[in-house]
Amino acid sequence: MVPIFTYRDERKLFAVIGAVIVAALIALVQIDAAKSGKPSIIAIAVTSTAVFAQSAVARTGNLARGLGQTLGDAPHLIDDNARLRARISELQRENDRFRETLAQAPELRAIAIASANEPGSIEATTVGFDPENVSRTIVIDRGTSAGVKRDDGVINAEGVVGRVIDATPATSTVLLISDGASKVPAVVQRGRWWGIATGTDGRVRMQYVSQDAKLKLGDVVVTGAGRSFRAGLKIGTIAKIVHPEGALYQTALVEPAVAFGRISRVLVVPH
Amino acid sequence: MARDRSLKLDSDGVARTRAFWIANKPGETAAPAFTPDAPLWSAVALALVVALLVQSSFAPMLAVRGATVSFITLLVAWYGVRTGVARGLAFGVIAGACLDALGGGTGAAWTLGTGLAGGLAGRLARTWLADTQLALVLGVAVVTLVRYATFGIVMAAQGHPLALPWVHIHAALWQAVLDAGVAYIALLVVPALGGIPAYRR
Repeated sequence: MVPIFTYRDERKLFAVIGAVIVAALIALVQIDAAKSGKPSIIAIAVTSTAVFAQSAVARTGNLARGLGQTLGDAPHLIDDNARLRARISELQRENDRFRETLAQAPELRAIAIASANEPGSIEATTVGFDPENVSRTIVIDRGTSAGVKRDDGVINAEGVVGRVIDATPATSTVLLISDGASKVPAVVQRGRWWGIATGTDGRVRMQYVSQDAKLKLGDVVVTGAGRSFRAGLKIGTIAKIVHPEGALYQTALVEPAVAFGRISRVLVVPH
Repeated sequence: MARDRSLKLDSDGVARTRAFWIANKPGETAAPAFTPDAPLWSAVALALVVALLVQSSFAPMLAVRGATVSFITLLVAWYGVRTGVARGLAFGVIAGACLDALGGGTGAAWTLGTGLAGGLAGRLARTWLADTQLALVLGVAVVTLVRYATFGIVMAAQGHPLALPWVHIHAALWQAVLDAGVAYIALLVVPALGGIPAYRR
């Protein structure tokens, strides 16, 4: 077979023709995509591939810029760090204070309402207990200089706490109604049956209730008018009824309305 | 004992502390009845303040079956054992007066009860009770019971008998157990707290 003689390099010619064909195809694809208003396959392929490279370049650039900025800012970093740490501490303290205020809010609101219902009452805070825990007493931070007197009644938002048995200028000692020595006139709210609420070193026992009183578990017991309290202050609810045969009176164990283990704010009600 | 550095040699050439020479005069051969070993007064005063603050702030939280560990009793008993009747009594009276002042409504009941407890602890230190630490623990229980009983008697004498006496007897017994338990642990951890034994040399 004799080769065809030519002055042109056929390979170059084929390459040019190929290039023209490819360019035409690309142009056709692009024009077609442009007409349809969608990105072409070529554009999608190119941009998808390019995004990785662009991202890598951008990151490297940012890193280099950040590094440069860090090196430039280095002298200020120590000061900034100290200032920010101080600020964080301050904000944490502020946050703690707000949390505590938030936790106290319900009690404060309840005390404020109780205070509004008892004009002339004196707000006080519990500061101590009987050191030997022999008697159920608490020490409050208001004394005779604030107007507290012996035998003043002490209540909180939940109900009756006790009465003042000792008052000094700065503090007062309050005998809780759960103490064995405490005696408060009491009335069962539902039937107006009278009795005496005595402490049992934990709970309260309502004694000397008439045998014909039809007590029920859950009945609310309130104060009767007496030396330390006005009538109608909640003492607690009946948790158990002791109804001995042949006895003149019946007795009810009363679950106090006040949680004596966590008394913090109280109201002293002058008598 | 450790604080008394004034050592002198006895006839056997053994170095003895000042507390030893108080109880053993040179030439004396009989065993001493009691060797006082007073702690620093400032340490005792600080311990009293801390004990009072802890008890008045956290008493209900420290309660076990209605009774509370009495750090005051433990402190007074410890001081009494270390110093003898007179100083134990005096310290007990001071500690008790503080309790009466903080508690309120108890008159002088804790003053007299705790004073008696301090004196009794000082007296017990002169007996075999101070010779072994286990017996010392028993002594603490006895002192606690006597103190509580005196408190009840004085309250009754003042016209304020303790309501619910059985509850108080129960609480007194529990307090004695708790105090003895704490004393035992304290002596186990720091044996030197027991001071110089009366008859053991």
